Amino acid sequence: MIQFYYFHLMPWPHLPDDFDRQNSSSWVTLSNRLYDPKRGHALYNEYLDELELAEQLGYDGLGVNEHHQSAYGTMPSPNLMAAALVRRTSRAKIAILGNALPLRDHPLRVAEEVAMLDVMSGGRIVSGFVRGIGCEYLSLGVNPTDSRERFYEAHNLILRAWTEDGPFSFEGKHYQVRYANVWPRPLQRPHPPIWLPSQGSNETIEWAAQHRYPFVSVFTSAAQSRRLVNEYKAAAELAGYSAPRSQIGCALPIYVAETDERARNEARPHIEWLFHRGLKIPPHFLLPPGYITENSLRKFIGTGLRHPSELSFEELDAGGYFLVGSARTIADRLADIHASLGFGIFIGAGRIGDMSHDKAVKSMELFAREVIPKLRGIGS
Amino acid sequence: MAYRSEFVSVGGTRTHMIRGGRGTPLLVLHPEFGAGKWFPYHEGLAAQFHVLAPDHPGFGKTERPDWLRDIDDVVFHYVELLDALSLERVHVAGTSVGGWIAAELAVARPDRVGRLVLTAAAGIRVEGVTRFDVFINPIEETLLHLFHDPARAAQLVPSTPTVDIVVQAYREAGSLARLAWNPYLYNPKLERRLGRISAPTLILWGENDRFLPSEHAKAFVSRIPDARLHLIPDCGHLVPLEKTDEFVQEVRSFLSSDLQ
Repeated sequence: MIQFYYFHLMPWPHLPDDFDRQNSSSWVTLSNRLYDPKRGHALYNEYLDELELAEQLGYDGLGVNEHHQSAYGTMPSPNLMAAALVRRTSRAKIAILGNALPLRDHPLRVAEEVAMLDVMSGGRIVSGFVRGIGCEYLSLGVNPTDSRERFYEAHNLILRAWTEDGPFSFEGKHYQVRYANVWPRPLQRPHPPIWLPSQGSNETIEWAAQHRYPFVSVFTSAAQSRRLVNEYKAAAELAGYSAPRSQIGCALPIYVAETDERARNEARPHIEWLFHRGLKIPPHFLLPPGYITENSLRKFIGTGLRHPSELSFEELDAGGYFLVGSARTIADRLADIHASLGFGIFIGAGRIGDMSHDKAVKSMELFAREVIPKLRGIGS
Repeated sequence: MAYRSEFVSVGGTRTHMIRGGRGTPLLVLHPEFGAGKWFPYHEGLAAQFHVLAPDHPGFGKTERPDWLRDIDDVVFHYVELLDALSLERVHVAGTSVGGWIAAELAVARPDRVGRLVLTAAAGIRVEGVTRFDVFINPIEETLLHLFHDPARAAQLVPSTPTVDIVVQAYREAGSLARLAWNPYLYNPKLERRLGRISAPTLILWGENDRFLPSEHAKAFVSRIPDARLHLIPDCGHLVPLEKTDEFVQEVRSFLSSDLQ
């Protein structure tokens, strides 16, 4: 069974007309004077309406995530959005994809908040953990050379806080607490599912496989997704098991319309917004010192991979960076991707860039009515 | 002049060092850029002194040890280097981050420092003075802020860097981030401690420093008991690379004069 998630980035679509010429990025240095809280109020409510609608349409889960100080996503605290959804939904899973552990001052705050959400929602929380992207280390002043250590250490502390009877003491390199004793404890036992959404460094993938945490390939090309998923499967074999489909996820921007042509025409400006404006990130923002290992950097340069913001709509399409088409086309393409990756989790980002609410709703309705039923039982 | 490259084990850390010249030992601590190279200013100093130019941990050819977390770690590394070389007392000259290390060394171990030269030294923060952020800017922009005359930047960066050079630069930026990400390029405790420095000290600064503006020079001079200031006109941040002759002359004259 494939689980279908409706995912939101909550972008800030109102960029000035001269953005492309005037701004080197929609992150870090793009002034927040461009953020208009009155329009923001309307947007947040539309965005939450869309997530609530997704549950009514039959999606299995809703996805929120964390990004800081950018127009790409205006959700610095995904836990707040999850809390807003908990009381307005009753059935769908709520996936936080994810909390950026190293960016938090203390991991126990994450342990507490996610446990609260899990108890409030009756055990509907999926707890994604991420490192946060390079830009966010600049925006929040966290030392990127500590990123990996803080991520692993925070994870270890949170896991213990969820599974051990407290109080216990924890003496890490970055976090120390003598009386860890999280109230409430999470409702799901042993703990809410932990997922690893990532564009994939080898180290992260290996670690996720060893812990049997589902790996979600995020907004990358078909070829890269396949490479990452294969690495994950190989790492699982090394750890002594075969990764089941339920541990493999794929997240892509998706737009469904009545015909292929109409879908392409309607989606194009928004796909371009997402990749060319939302993801306009120069390398020195993307890779602050120490954020990736020297090996990963060498590999990154060696493969000559271009950043998706440098690719045209046609190149992104050919590369499989998004899914756009009629319900039939989308169903076929998803079946192909499924054959290639064997995923059990599909996460579609529906309101892309500066797309209108109406378009987003039409697309999600078509997807829920005509695509999900066809694919639900594929591979099982 | 002959110089030689060697590796010294300092508390188990394989440390690369270039040395040249004869005479009184002079420890030369490099700035954020250009580690592991013997520049004309080294040559100029080696005409009169025994120049010891190590690469900081995580820079040049010195490995980056796991324990490298903040500036103290580098300071004790250099105390141990002096021990390893059986040098009781040396002159110390450092530029930018190297100047910060030099000042911290003179604070921690005043007994080991004969005379001290701080050139465009990092390490303190002057309220209201903007410093260039090396961590957020592309290298082209950084180079423009390191020199008054941008043509002088060519000696630091080849026009077509290889993958190895890019990876090495990323490694060194990571090492610098360990020491200087936050607080940015300073130690909040250092300014108050500068009064511990007993060595006669020369503060050298480019008048046109757009990386760490010369207001910082005045703060060092006012805090270090026996300090004199020399500002160099038409000169940016990396004084030894931009005004090599003047730098060498000033340092040699300061280190060899009879001080009152």
